[in-house]
Amino acid sequence: MSTRQPAWAVVMRREVVAKVTDKSFVVGTLVTLALIVGMLGLQVYLSDRTKSYDVVATASSRVMADDVAHSATAADDKVRVTVRTVPDDAAARAAVHGGDADAWLHESDGAWVVTGRTQVPDALRTAAEQAVRTAVLADNAAAAGTTVEALERGSTVTVTQLVGDKDRTDLAKAVGFAMAFLFYLAAIGFGLTLAGSVVEEKQSRIVEIIAAAIPIRQLLLGKVLGNSILALAQMCLYAAVGLVGLSFTSLGGLLPGITGPIVWFVGFFAVGFLAVACLYAAAGALASRSEDLQNTSMPMTMGLVIVFLGAMLATGQWQVVLSYVPPFSAILMPSRMLQGGVPLWEPLVALAGLVAFCAVAIVVGERIYRRSLLKTGGRVSFRAAWSAAD
Amino acid sequence: MLQLRDLTRRFGDITAVDGVSFDVSDGQLTGFVGGNGAGKTTTMRMVMGVLARDEGTILWNGAPVTVHDQRRFGYMPEERGLYPKQPVLDQLAYLGELHGMTGRDARRSIMEQLERFGLADRAKDRVEKLSLGNQQRVQIIAALIAEPAALILDEPFSGLDPDAVDSMTDILREHTVRGIPVLFSSHQLDLVQRLCDRLTIMARGRVVASGTVSELQAGGPTRYKLTLGGDAGWVRDARHGVHVVDVDGPTALVEIVQEGTEQPLLEEAMARGPVREFARVIPALSEIYREVTA
Repeated sequence: MSTRQPAWAVVMRREVVAKVTDKSFVVGTLVTLALIVGMLGLQVYLSDRTKSYDVVATASSRVMADDVAHSATAADDKVRVTVRTVPDDAAARAAVHGGDADAWLHESDGAWVVTGRTQVPDALRTAAEQAVRTAVLADNAAAAGTTVEALERGSTVTVTQLVGDKDRTDLAKAVGFAMAFLFYLAAIGFGLTLAGSVVEEKQSRIVEIIAAAIPIRQLLLGKVLGNSILALAQMCLYAAVGLVGLSFTSLGGLLPGITGPIVWFVGFFAVGFLAVACLYAAAGALASRSEDLQNTSMPMTMGLVIVFLGAMLATGQWQVVLSYVPPFSAILMPSRMLQGGVPLWEPLVALAGLVAFCAVAIVVGERIYRRSLLKTGGRVSFRAAWSAAD
Repeated sequence: MLQLRDLTRRFGDITAVDGVSFDVSDGQLTGFVGGNGAGKTTTMRMVMGVLARDEGTILWNGAPVTVHDQRRFGYMPEERGLYPKQPVLDQLAYLGELHGMTGRDARRSIMEQLERFGLADRAKDRVEKLSLGNQQRVQIIAALIAEPAALILDEPFSGLDPDAVDSMTDILREHTVRGIPVLFSSHQLDLVQRLCDRLTIMARGRVVASGTVSELQAGGPTRYKLTLGGDAGWVRDARHGVHVVDVDGPTALVEIVQEGTEQPLLEEAMARGPVREFARVIPALSEIYREVTA
């Protein structure tokens, strides 16, 4: 590097380099990536796996057992039921007990019974209920001189939704939660590291050397930008890996619908994190030793918990209202967009609000930071820092 | 030339620095002496601009000091601080770049300095792996990287072994020879007396004495030591306009209130018996210090 750089750029570069060469940061990022890939892989594995069950029945129950097998495959094409005929009840009992079969279908006192060793798999139970019900209903209907169709006419309920479809809504909820959780983790993780590095500089007094060389504002700018870039890069990495992974699952077809909102989410995150970073830097400056940090950063951390929980718990009208209110909007607006049906002006208005909030946070954070950074010997109260002279 | 004029700084009800004025001349090593809490560090921080001043002015080469001027001063704060986990060279290069140097120039200047201190092979080590003395050396290099226009050093000698004190002294001298003003604070009075061209003594936020060592000594009380063949107890009762500081067997230490009044005392002593020694006592800096800060 042979050209002269502005001071904030020098600070920013140091923040980034110090972090990406820090083992715990690299390991933490890799572990999170492994978790994301693992979760998606598990999802693929579970949804593609064919589950097969063995059912034993005596000759007299064979017909009903075949019905159960058909019914199970009809309900879920990943389920296969193999029926085996055994000579008598004792042999059936022994097969189930010995683990050779998953269940034993038999009739007892005019009612059908499914017996498992310690439990009956849900798929088998549901299939048995369905098959038995259909068969018995048909018999009973015939006895009453009517048909099952006649009996059931008009009794079915079909579920539809006006906006999106069920798969998409479920995915939107899951992705929304994942993104909100990532926001929360990144804000607290990067925020606390930033506050920690501020107090480290203050405690080791290197800040005096730096303050003698450059304006404190440039130091803050460099630190906040450096950490914001790292947080954003990490978030983009997670989102990209998550989206690529998702394309391999059965939900891959829904990707085009959620990619836009995720890009919005990254934008909201960038602005929201800038505000968080400034306030955490101020919290770091209020502390004199790293032991004080827990105290001075508590309001920030509590605030983030409230924002996260509030954004998760808000529903209906509350969700709509809060999706405009910064800092809740940073999570809620992209979440609503994931569910679909949000016109473009809504996120623009919410983003403008968040930018205004961020501007206030920067002004407040900068003032607190500048005025408490060189005050050593005990914790500086917010009020004292706010009204202090330079 | 750095001139401090009526610098005042208050922290709440406490006036830490109260109307402090003194000069740090070009090419001179100025010592800054005072007890803990006397206001030395606060004064130096105001000179560096890391602390705002409530009143007073600082002149640099005759004009009010600007932030731009202050950025060119080399500074070593009282409490040593560097990033413990960052390698020596990277860290110093960072500070050099903050001073506006290019990365290449900063590294070249740092390697030269590290070589001088015998630390060139430690350039890639993390600061926390260095001994305290070596950390101190790295710290002083931090103040010297950017060819400073003045040096403001808060306790640069504390914690150094005798060899390191010598190399630190050489370095300070090198910079005064270059013609820049150097101000350093210290608790070690013998060191200050040996090194400094001038010194300023502070107590309770005020300057209580300022000048060259001999000026300060001349301004102190005039004392004579008298050693007799016999007991010196009679000196207590002698009335020659002298103040008896101490009598111990054949030795007496007297303070002359008015020039010339020591002669009748000497005459009486010679009349009473042999006089082994009669000599002017030049007060040590530590005595002057004790007196002016009392």
